[in-house]
Amino acid sequence: MTEPVTIEVDQFLRHPPAKVWRALTDPERLSRWLMPTDFAPAVGHRFTFRTGPRPGFDGIVRCEVLALDPERLMRWAWRGGTLDSTVTWTLQAEGHGTRLLLRHEGFDPSDPLQRAALEMMGRGWRSHLMRRLEQELGTP
Amino acid sequence: MPDVDVFTALANPTRREVLRLLREDGPHPVNRLAGRFDMRRPSFSEHLRLLKDAGLVTERRDGRERVYSLRAEPLHELAGWLAPYESFWSARLGDLAALLEAEDD
Repeated sequence: MTEPVTIEVDQFLRHPPAKVWRALTDPERLSRWLMPTDFAPAVGHRFTFRTGPRPGFDGIVRCEVLALDPERLMRWAWRGGTLDSTVTWTLQAEGHGTRLLLRHEGFDPSDPLQRAALEMMGRGWRSHLMRRLEQELGTP
Repeated sequence: MPDVDVFTALANPTRREVLRLLREDGPHPVNRLAGRFDMRRPSFSEHLRLLKDAGLVTERRDGRERVYSLRAEPLHELAGWLAPYESFWSARLGDLAALLEAEDD
């Protein structure tokens, strides 16, 4: 078995977890910073994000709330175009702020390019490691 | 153009381990590198050849030894594949930070 490709984005926000959580779970706020959505903070709730269509993608991301742990963790199913993935938000209090970690994982293995990427992405070979590796090494 | 694409080269755990060793411990003479793997030498040489064909390692002569080094350039191809998703999320998280800044409480 190969592990899915994972994108990780780590961001420090100068606001407490309660406020960050509200921005993540209030549909009006979520619609403003992410994409227009009918999200509701309840496990099992199905919702969409809507953006401009592109070739191979109708512009609708079909989602479902898979896990919810207030001010700590939220996981969504995230399906759009050929993508069948999950998005996980993790919040950690850090000083007066919040460390927000985003993990986007599980790209569609039926896409040949994505499958190639799945096969090559063994343990520890996630995208951010690749980038770090490049930065460390530079271009010979 | 390389004969072997970088995806194929990285599809194998032995080859990934070779790259990890070269990355963490620097260039290796081929004998020392081979000694870290429990594998027949011809099989190991085949893995090295594939990595070389993909442009992920370079080989140079040092006296009687062949020394292998990591070459990072083809990895740009991989980073490029996920780049649109990564820039999407980076931009959205930037918008989240801006929204939080704009709120008073």
